[in-house]
Amino acid sequence: MTMINQLTNAGALPALEMTMRFAAQRQRLAAHNIANIETPNFIQKDVSVEGFQAMLDEAVRERRGRTGGMHGALAWEETNEIRATESGRMTIVPSSSAGSGVLTHDRNNRDLERLMQTLAESTSAFRTAADLYRSQSMILQMAISERV
Amino acid sequence: MWGMLDIPTSGMIAQRTRLEAIASNVANQNAILDADGNYSPYKRRAAEFAAGDPSAGTEAGRKMGVHVASIWIDENAVRAKWDPSSPFADANGNIMVPDIDPIAEQVNAMAAARGYEANVAAAEALKATMAQALRLLA
Repeated sequence: MTMINQLTNAGALPALEMTMRFAAQRQRLAAHNIANIETPNFIQKDVSVEGFQAMLDEAVRERRGRTGGMHGALAWEETNEIRATESGRMTIVPSSSAGSGVLTHDRNNRDLERLMQTLAESTSAFRTAADLYRSQSMILQMAISERV
Repeated sequence: MWGMLDIPTSGMIAQRTRLEAIASNVANQNAILDADGNYSPYKRRAAEFAAGDPSAGTEAGRKMGVHVASIWIDENAVRAKWDPSSPFADANGNIMVPDIDPIAEQVNAMAAARGYEANVAAAEALKATMAQALRLLA
């Protein structure tokens, strides 16, 4: 089990996994905001990317100090927008504003351009992290198949 | 990667707001009453742009980009029109009407629409650049 953990926690894999988790959840949030683009009294919410990156930066720094940075799980701290579920997985609690500061007549703070930006960036971040994860795990796979 | 679209998005929002101000000017070019029905000719509005975008999600985005600092109301944009039958006419038979030039507004609207398109093109170019870089990485 320790060996399996060392494989799945190797190198940048834990940070990539967190980035994918964050990007996927933010994308779902953007879809929720787009679905409610004409809902009266709906307030568009977002999560702070800066907050997530500061948290991830701190966790990577801590791991580097603890294990040297090449292996080991990320011990990340909860923030007001990024929480752990009961099973310890990362989940987002959106509380930042996603829209413009202006309410439309139906009291919705929609901002279509900003929503589309969030969607495009989340898609792009997810794809980048997933591709990097795949190439890293391919290297692992190659190493394993040499051994057996 | 996060925030890479902050700058073109801020441009799109600013140009869209400018277009909304122009649309309001065109729609109200004959409005001599305010929303409450009182005699107060509509005065033309213009969006004033300023550098930087305080509503962006990242530090780099806040430093660059553009935002609408204020909607300027041209208090002098009224002209006298001779209309003695109007209940709002003064002693000389004149009423004050909005001084809005539809041609200038149309030209401004075209410039705003082209500006919006340019920002969309910039966003598409940035996305393509990211895809190229990703092809090198992974």
